[in-house]
Amino acid sequence: MENRIAERSASCHHAEVTTVLIVDDHPSFRASARALLQAEGFEVVGEAEDGESALVAARELDPELVLLDVQLPDIDGFEVASRLKGSGSTANVVLTSSREGCDFGARIADSGARGFVTKAELSGAALVALLP
Amino acid sequence: MKPQLAVLAWNLALAVAAGAVLLVLRSDHADSKAATIALAVPIGLAFAASGLLAATRRPENRTGLLLVLTGFTWFLGALAEANGSVPFTLGLALGSVTLGFLVHLLLAFPSGRLGGRLDRTIAGVAYAVAVLGPALTLLFDDLERSRCDGCPENALLIEANQGATQALEGTVVGGALLLIAAIVVQLIRRWRAASPPLRRSLAPVLATGTAALTLVAAANIVGVLSDAGEPLYWLLQGVLFTVPISFALGLLRSHLARAGVGRLVVELGHSAGPHDLRGAFSRALGDPSLEVAYRVNENGWVGTGGRPLERPSKGSDRVATFVERDGRCVAALIHDASLADERELVAAVSAAGALALEGARSLQELRASEARNRALLDAIPDLMFRIARDGTYLDAEADEEEDLTAPADQIVGSNVFDRLPRDIGERLMRSIHRALSDGETKTIEYELELRGEPRSFEGRVVASGEDEVLVIVRNITERKRKEDELRRLYVELERGLGELQASRARIVEAADLERRRLERNLHDGAQQRLVSISLALRLARGKLLSEPPEAETLLRGAGEELGFALEELRELARGIHPAILTDRGLAPALESLASRSPVPVDVQGPSDRLPPWIETAAYYVVSEALTNAAKYAEASEVSVRVARANGDALVEVRDNGVGGASPDRGSGLRGLADRVSALGGRLRVESEPGAGTFIRAEIPLATVEPAAG
Repeated sequence: MENRIAERSASCHHAEVTTVLIVDDHPSFRASARALLQAEGFEVVGEAEDGESALVAARELDPELVLLDVQLPDIDGFEVASRLKGSGSTANVVLTSSREGCDFGARIADSGARGFVTKAELSGAALVALLP
Repeated sequence: MKPQLAVLAWNLALAVAAGAVLLVLRSDHADSKAATIALAVPIGLAFAASGLLAATRRPENRTGLLLVLTGFTWFLGALAEANGSVPFTLGLALGSVTLGFLVHLLLAFPSGRLGGRLDRTIAGVAYAVAVLGPALTLLFDDLERSRCDGCPENALLIEANQGATQALEGTVVGGALLLIAAIVVQLIRRWRAASPPLRRSLAPVLATGTAALTLVAAANIVGVLSDAGEPLYWLLQGVLFTVPISFALGLLRSHLARAGVGRLVVELGHSAGPHDLRGAFSRALGDPSLEVAYRVNENGWVGTGGRPLERPSKGSDRVATFVERDGRCVAALIHDASLADERELVAAVSAAGALALEGARSLQELRASEARNRALLDAIPDLMFRIARDGTYLDAEADEEEDLTAPADQIVGSNVFDRLPRDIGERLMRSIHRALSDGETKTIEYELELRGEPRSFEGRVVASGEDEVLVIVRNITERKRKEDELRRLYVELERGLGELQASRARIVEAADLERRRLERNLHDGAQQRLVSISLALRLARGKLLSEPPEAETLLRGAGEELGFALEELRELARGIHPAILTDRGLAPALESLASRSPVPVDVQGPSDRLPPWIETAAYYVVSEALTNAAKYAEASEVSVRVARANGDALVEVRDNGVGGASPDRGSGLRGLADRVSALGGRLRVESEPGAGTFIRAEIPLATVEPAAG
């Protein structure tokens, strides 16, 4: 398992990325995502179910990747992403939603997020591909 | 007839008369020569002279010519005094022709032309009897019976036959009598049909003519019965002398009536008005039926009283003579047609009266205009007041006395402030003064309470003199009432429109909200579950070979998750539109709703299917009510009833919950009210706190199906 990540990391120059914070208001998705990402070698350091707790968790856990649902009960994913960037966080934010990325247009790029992946297509490879 | 010709004819008549005198003087058999000359010559000359006078003055009239011919034929009788056999016989045969002319004259007077077939027949028979009668008798009369001493022989005698002579004489006399009777009857008819002016012309002629004919008849009867006809004969001669004079008098009456023109001028000098004027013209022309017609405009003619007059049509017994002054037609005299023969008199009378008629016409015109104005004012259904500058009523007129504050005669003389409330009086006086100062019409509206009910009036004030105004007041109560009604309807309409717009906005908003709810439900429910299943399946695939027990756990979880997703989708679809409603109708759909409700529901559905859009509305009313009953009302039982009633579909839901529901709070009930109202129905909610909730929707079954979209 570690070998595979090392290989992918080597190919993508991101060998050190391992910590992930999952932010989504649906527990079933958080559970599935956690299982999937852990299975693919990521370390899920925490979960949050709304925008405010996501900001707190990101500050406390300092993950390298934040998988951030667009639609949250309090503030939306775009707002969370730009606040994270504004607060000096170095975490790479990847927005996700069950909708298509094109539904959101330029808002994804404007929010300062690294990129977007639909929930159905979520995979470790898809995330790594979006990172610098 | 030209005067020279008349003089020539007169000289000829004198010569013929002289010849006749000579014949009488030299006669061997004439009795009483002096008397014969003294009577017969003046008669003949009288006919000739009268005829020539009439023919000169009235050349177009044949009477003159007939009189002249009568005069000349009269002298034919003198031949009977001749001593020669032939002239003597001619004199006897033609001596009666004069009677034929006399009949002709009588029947043809005053025109000198025979009018009808009957007149022509009578005249023809008269000529025949007058000529043929004596001529035929002479064929058999040897003149023995007449005991004529020294008379020459009858040149026409064929065979002396006393019997035939007497029979012929009897027949001629009988025929003559019948003829005279017919003439008298005809003349009486003429008289009765004649208008007064014509009668004046006819009177002397008919009197002398009839007298002469009667004497002829009498002399003949007496002559046949005895020998005592002589005195009648002399009397006849006397009467005959007056006949031509009366004809000339009758014919030239208008010339003689010229004196009437002078009298007319004098009368007109004293005339006081159109009635006097008509009387004066009537007297001057001797026509009591005369009318004076005044021209008041292009086509209109009015009579003395100002009433319209028709111009007499052609061929009627009335004739119009137009009176002109300075080339302008001022009036027309409508008179008897017989006066047309007296053109000169009518012309003289017209000329004499033109000035007076012009004056009278102006007066008539003024009166006609007054009558028009009065008719106009009478026709206006409004109240009318003439009010002086100081507010005194000078005149009051009302079609409906009910609209007056007092009877019209009491209003006149009183003041505006006596009749109207102070504030209205002041406003009216201001309008009066403004109308008097600038001459423009002022309008004032006010309300009065008359006979216990308020009435609205609109007054128009217009200056009608230097110090008075005309106020035309219209009762506008009805108009005001309609205006108020219209205003009320307008407000109602606006409110209805506002409600409609709000309701449409709410319906749109509700639909929007519903779509968002659906999207949210799909997103939060089935979609999330499917995403999780997708991730779990991918994970399971990765573990299928390496960790089969974990893969199996993942697959089982995915299967359960799929079941939940399906159930959620089914519920969602039911929320969009319940399939059972379409497939099986409202009653089973309500049963299905009730079975899913956490609160026990007693359902009484409709016995038959209702129009689909009504079933849908009823379904959502019940569905929303049941949701509310379970969610907010804390009810322990609910009853639902849907039925037809008076052309409506009735939907009633009653629960025993806490009450306090209102369409003004929360979108659910308001949405239902909008849905019901869009179908022309109404939704009532009774929900006193603590007393449960009763929702009742009435939807007209006749509602047209709402348009799709």
